[in-house]
Amino acid sequence: MSVTAPPAPPVAPKPAAAASGPRFWNSTGVVRLRREGAIAPIAAFVVFFVVYVIINPELLTRFQLQTASNLVVPLALVALGQLIVVLVGGIDISIGAIMSLCNVVFATQLEHLPVPVAILLSVGVGLACGLFNGVLVAYAGLPAIAVTLASAFIFGSIAREVLDRPGGGVTKEIYLATSGELVPFVPVSLVWLAVIAVLLWLLLQRTALGRHIYGVGSNMESVRAAGINARLTKLLAFGLAGVVTSFGAMMLASSTVTGDPRSGDPYLLSSIAAVALAGAAFTGGKGSIIGTILAACTLGLIGNLLFFAGVNSYWQYVISALIIVAVVGIPVVWRRVAFFAKGARS
Amino acid sequence: MTDSLLVATDLVKTYGPVKAVRGVTFHCNPGEVLALVGENGAGKSTVAKMLAGAVAPTSGTITVDGEPLASGSVRQSRLSGVRCAFQELALVPDWTVAENLSLPDGAPLKGFSQKKAVAAASALLESLHLSRIDPRAAVSTLSLADRQLVEIARALAGRPKLLILDEASSALTPPGVEWLFARIRELTAEGGSVIYVSHRLGEIAQIADRGTVLRDGLVAGEFVRGDWTDDELISLMAGRAAERFFPDPPERTTDAVALSVTDLRSEGLRGIDLELGAGEILGIGGLQGHGQAELLRALFGAAPAVADSWTVAGRSISRTNPVRSVRLGLGYVPEDRKREGLALEMSVGENLLAPWFKAYQLGGRPRLAQERGWIDGILKALSVRTRGPNELAGSLSGGNQQKLVFGRWMDRSRRVVLLHDPTRGIDVRAKQELYRAIVDLAKEGVGILWFSTEVEELVHVCHRVVVLYQGAVADELIGDRLTADAVVGAAVGATGSLNLTTEGVAS
Repeated sequence: MSVTAPPAPPVAPKPAAAASGPRFWNSTGVVRLRREGAIAPIAAFVVFFVVYVIINPELLTRFQLQTASNLVVPLALVALGQLIVVLVGGIDISIGAIMSLCNVVFATQLEHLPVPVAILLSVGVGLACGLFNGVLVAYAGLPAIAVTLASAFIFGSIAREVLDRPGGGVTKEIYLATSGELVPFVPVSLVWLAVIAVLLWLLLQRTALGRHIYGVGSNMESVRAAGINARLTKLLAFGLAGVVTSFGAMMLASSTVTGDPRSGDPYLLSSIAAVALAGAAFTGGKGSIIGTILAACTLGLIGNLLFFAGVNSYWQYVISALIIVAVVGIPVVWRRVAFFAKGARS
Repeated sequence: MTDSLLVATDLVKTYGPVKAVRGVTFHCNPGEVLALVGENGAGKSTVAKMLAGAVAPTSGTITVDGEPLASGSVRQSRLSGVRCAFQELALVPDWTVAENLSLPDGAPLKGFSQKKAVAAASALLESLHLSRIDPRAAVSTLSLADRQLVEIARALAGRPKLLILDEASSALTPPGVEWLFARIRELTAEGGSVIYVSHRLGEIAQIADRGTVLRDGLVAGEFVRGDWTDDELISLMAGRAAERFFPDPPERTTDAVALSVTDLRSEGLRGIDLELGAGEILGIGGLQGHGQAELLRALFGAAPAVADSWTVAGRSISRTNPVRSVRLGLGYVPEDRKREGLALEMSVGENLLAPWFKAYQLGGRPRLAQERGWIDGILKALSVRTRGPNELAGSLSGGNQQKLVFGRWMDRSRRVVLLHDPTRGIDVRAKQELYRAIVDLAKEGVGILWFSTEVEELVHVCHRVVVLYQGAVADELIGDRLTADAVVGAAVGATGSLNLTTEGVAS
């Protein structure tokens, strides 16, 4: 069966891959990754990882693997939360505050409650925060950026009310269960990230709700006209983002062995940067899980890389910015160059 | 009337102070095709949306099979066997065809398998003779015509009791319309009913058993098959005596060349030679997706393009961009008036002036006051129905919006105007007003390049028609050869013999 429409323009500047295996290049999974803009961040991560290992081969030792993954996993989880909101065409400015709040709730409740209850409470708080945003955005029709900016102040204040200085009751056992090693060379935090990512992938790709989330961001009117409850979908997406964020908050509290009411603040911009680097569309409907995770890994490790390369760490933001612009920009430039090269040849 | 499948009684829909529908009553029998005709703004689309459950009527009742229809829920309507293919496409662009076909059904938390969805979609497309559409392709990569086919396929999927086609043929090509009619006949043979909303009188003559004419939100009249003429229907719709449908192209007074390109190459174009004279109306024909949209975009500089030689109004250029094109004397009416043509949140006057704003000039009301004479002249010349230049462009009906996109190029010393199907989905009266404006422009010596999906327009109003096939010129028709059959024949790639699989096309 042949397609009459021209194939989707390649997102990534990888003619080598196209030449080496057009079948691989056009297989369903790869086409989906291409459409979701994930090829460029994946390629960027591979390049980054190779450079990193060349500059600092010590990364592949047990200790460094463990610290690096503990550094990266909370960011990856928060970025996934941000991705879900971005997929429905919103943006979550309160994600850092939600993270701080879940973080302190988890840490303080551990002092006198059993661990599973503390986890449930933290997840519940994340869900409640997400649903609060979601109701205002989906049912009251307010713009996501205004709603989440306002709620960021609310959640941030509540977090300071719950715990006004770093502390809480995170124990060594919890640290080992979330941030230790499962077996040598396999940090537990990566395993948790993988579990959550796979569950989230199943939800987004293999349930109707997940596809509705993509659809709502792609074109809300169409989804409505098709008889789908677009508002409910949006609300659930915000709630789901809150839950995923709470996982990130707990991973952060456990790996640092403290609860901190300001811990989430730096994650707001990093999560947005990771989603941008992942090639997601901020108008909604486009973005991939694997791309987001790898983008978060890249951004999260830049500081480390510069440290080992002996560069002043202030440069890490400049490098992050350059990577984002390059990864987002190269495919655009490539398409233009390819057109004029092709036009001149024929 | 008790055995009618659908009975709509006294439907009223008001949006604030605006009465879109003021009391419409009609019924539809099983196995019948009921046409719903009327000008834009007559309330057809609103009625169709109420039947589909997309909007709830302010008052009035709808019953299907004797049961009242749950109003205001597309889902409930779907479940009770009423399905609608909308004019404004209701497909999600980033979903694949398979996802669009299968996702609206089922609970949110039900598992979703791409494989099963693709298999189900292939089976459905196969059964509807649409197997050339790849169920794995994202809808945004399909041509407008294919998207509309998918939309219709989705509506047909549940074997509906009542199928509503709201301008569903507006982007379809003649073979596509034939396909649609075949499907409609299959459905009615099984006892299903179809409500066919369209502007195309030729199609209504062919397919409709009965019809209801709407005007200004009221029923203006009814007709049955074979009992009406185009002129009667037009006067019923317009509420005034009908005029002749197509104007003739004006006599050409000069041989000057307004635009010429040789070997124009761009995405989707395989080298096009074209020459457009001043005052000439040159039609572009062909099936959708064979390079017409790309040709116009390339000529206006909206898509990157290169050519061996390229002159606009005698000036040689090597490439162009939209800003430069406007300066060179080009005008462009794009395909999608809502997305590319207008700023819907801005006023009518500002939309007319859009190409003529410079960053350092006055804007807003002072500028509108300055240009008042020109704006009023355009609004009057095209009879745009608006409350004035300060009304938001988004609140106008489709036909009037299209007039704005066109009107901004009038009286502005244009040399060439590029038109992308300006009459798609607008009513008969608005069409005639546009035809007249196009002919008037040509009389002033402006070269008109006009892509239309309506073959009749090309045949009657153009001096000459160039038909594109697979990104290249398949045939040029002029004089006696300029007939509807020739245009359609060339469009499907059959120059001379009618062979659909012909690959080597004379160019």
